[in-house]
Amino acid sequence: MSEKTTSSVDRAGPTALERFINGVLPENPIYRQLLGMCPTLAVTNAMKPAVTMAAATAFVLICSNIMVSLIRGLLKPHLRILVFTLTIATFVTIADRLLAAYVYDMSKQLGPYVPLIIVNCVIISRAEICASKQTPGVAIADGIGMSLGFGIGLASIATVRELLGSGTWFGLHVLPATWPNWGIMVLPPGAFLTLGLLLAIVEWGTRRRAASAIWRTVRMLWSWRH
Amino acid sequence: METLIGVVLIFISAALINNFVLHYFVGICPFLGVSRRVDTAFGMGCAVTFVISISTMLNWAFTSFILRPGAPLPAWVWRTAGGNPQTQLDLSVLSYIIYIFIIASSVQFVEMYVRKFFPPLYKSFGVFLPLITTNCAILFASLEVFKHMQDPTNLWGLPQALTLALGGGIGFTLAISLMAGIREELDLCDVPRPLQGAGIALIIAGIMAMAFMGFTGVDKGVETALTSLLR
Amino acid sequence: MSLALVALALAASVLAILAVAMGYVLGWANRKFHVAVDPRVELLQAALPGANCGGCGYVGCSEYAAALAEGKATVGLCAPGGGGCAQHLADILGIEVQESCPYRAVVHCSAHAYQRLQRAQYEGEPTCVSANLVGGVQGCTYGCLGLGDCFRACQYDAIQIVDGLSTIDYDKCVGCGACSRTCPRNIITLVPFKAERMMVVACSNQDTAADVRAVCEVGCIGCQACVRVAPELISMDGALPAINYDLYNPEEAESLKSVLEKCPRKRYVFVGKPSPEDLAAVEHEELPEAVTADFKTTVDDTEWRG
Repeated sequence: MSEKTTSSVDRAGPTALERFINGVLPENPIYRQLLGMCPTLAVTNAMKPAVTMAAATAFVLICSNIMVSLIRGLLKPHLRILVFTLTIATFVTIADRLLAAYVYDMSKQLGPYVPLIIVNCVIISRAEICASKQTPGVAIADGIGMSLGFGIGLASIATVRELLGSGTWFGLHVLPATWPNWGIMVLPPGAFLTLGLLLAIVEWGTRRRAASAIWRTVRMLWSWRH
Repeated sequence: METLIGVVLIFISAALINNFVLHYFVGICPFLGVSRRVDTAFGMGCAVTFVISISTMLNWAFTSFILRPGAPLPAWVWRTAGGNPQTQLDLSVLSYIIYIFIIASSVQFVEMYVRKFFPPLYKSFGVFLPLITTNCAILFASLEVFKHMQDPTNLWGLPQALTLALGGGIGFTLAISLMAGIREELDLCDVPRPLQGAGIALIIAGIMAMAFMGFTGVDKGVETALTSLLR
Repeated sequence: MSLALVALALAASVLAILAVAMGYVLGWANRKFHVAVDPRVELLQAALPGANCGGCGYVGCSEYAAALAEGKATVGLCAPGGGGCAQHLADILGIEVQESCPYRAVVHCSAHAYQRLQRAQYEGEPTCVSANLVGGVQGCTYGCLGLGDCFRACQYDAIQIVDGLSTIDYDKCVGCGACSRTCPRNIITLVPFKAERMMVVACSNQDTAADVRAVCEVGCIGCQACVRVAPELISMDGALPAINYDLYNPEEAESLKSVLEKCPRKRYVFVGKPSPEDLAAVEHEELPEAVTADFKTTVDDTEWRG
């Protein structure tokens, strides 16, 4: 009897804390899972739209996770993707109207990318993997973790693009006026190149060889001090 | 004549100048995921073009009659309910839900139809059809059509909507096939380990986007040429 | 009536009507466009090795599974899968499987390069197909050319060219038949291996006596001594003996041995996995170490002071 109870506890899946920590860096939706590329490339030409998009996605992700987790007992297998999609569409409509009401200029700048949160693979995959199988508490933690991870990814790309492309950060001039703005950075090619290179850096950094390479470089530079 | 020129411009814009993948960043997930071999990439592109045309046509019909500001059905209901003629009953808040529902249903319908009546076609691109439901490009086409149905004096008709869809789909096919061709060549190259896979694909996409930026202004030229030709 | 109320009612009814209509349409489509899929096809496909070698005669394992489900193919066609796979397939299909034996490739030539006479210096494309077309590369126009088309065709690394003769490693051969299809002289056939070692005719030369002796030191001269010893098992196919493998019984070692001894050119050989005597004979030899690639270059450890 005791074996049965322990195995059923194990089958409940990762805990809320594990889901939260997972979402931030180990299973970062942009850098590790490579999901949700569309808004990542589109809105990261400056920090403000990136942060707004991250906030909107966080709202939709957390709300839809809660809703899907609450109705998880009623889902039929062959209709579940449709149910997830419609739930997410409802919350995206709410988010879109809220943005249009309170930050109209930013909403116009984000344009069609707010409704495209509906087909953002991150949200559907979290609904499928976590929310439809676990309790609302775990689903909330998963949503918060993934949103944080998504936000970190967006912010990192937007920082690079905005600094190099306009010399500003959050609209404040950070680089001196003599900086020749790399116009390509705020245009579509810059988005692809920045994401590709940052992805490569994260890939390289998550291997142990990266640490030894850095250590070798430091040692080499130290030996040049004479 | 004006319509014809407009339609041609919409097509060129959607396919080349404002390419769905390289300018609007929609459809990136299949663009990175399915572009390893040219035959699968082309199959995916054809499937996307097919679905985007059908769903945009259906969504245009819905938008035209129910969802846009000043649409006939809500106006009739408001009049019958004896409402104030100065205010307008606007159902555009339902647009996202209806669009995605129509897209999901039409994808499922198309999959069943193709599987029954065109088995060889189903074998070549049937496996991509369920993936296309979450493809941003389909929803984006419908959203673009919605954007152009806001002004009651200058509405997009079915030809314009269909052309946008076809142009977008063909542009997507073009971009994904080019990417697949380049990636097939890359298989033989010595790509550094951190860049392998998505990294180098994105960098190539960036260079392709730079190349496609060269098409800017083509629509102006085509418009001038066509107007002078057809006058 | 307030705007909000009418809007809410209209929105709710539009969505409800749409949902119901789509439900009906999709339900109708599901029934009308129903494609009957045999659930056994997936099970069969899972049971097959998945190597897609084409040995069964179908384009891939999925094609073979589909043909099995339709009843168009027998279960014993998968060579890499072997008897276990055939039994598994038969269980899924619910049929009886007869005792079958694996087919393995056999090269019907055993003349090494130094045993072939009237050889010429061949400077053309180093493939058997080209050499076969050119002609005159060696005296025997029936036997192995040794340029390696079969070696390149084998995906299992089971056939090698040793001293100009293609030699099969029966530990690796799965009987897919790729070498057999590639050989331009058609001297590789698939033989049912009823035992670990089978007796085969190791020559393909259709000429007799003096003509054979002029081109090969060890070719079959067509003397028919073997037929006289075992007439029910061996028959002559032109000037070349052929063993009837349906009647071949590995238990009758005595009669087989007598055939072996009677052949004046020693063209009957046993091929197959190494026998215990063979293994004992090479036990004292040491195998050289396998060469592994070491990708360090001479500049890898240099400190760049660039």
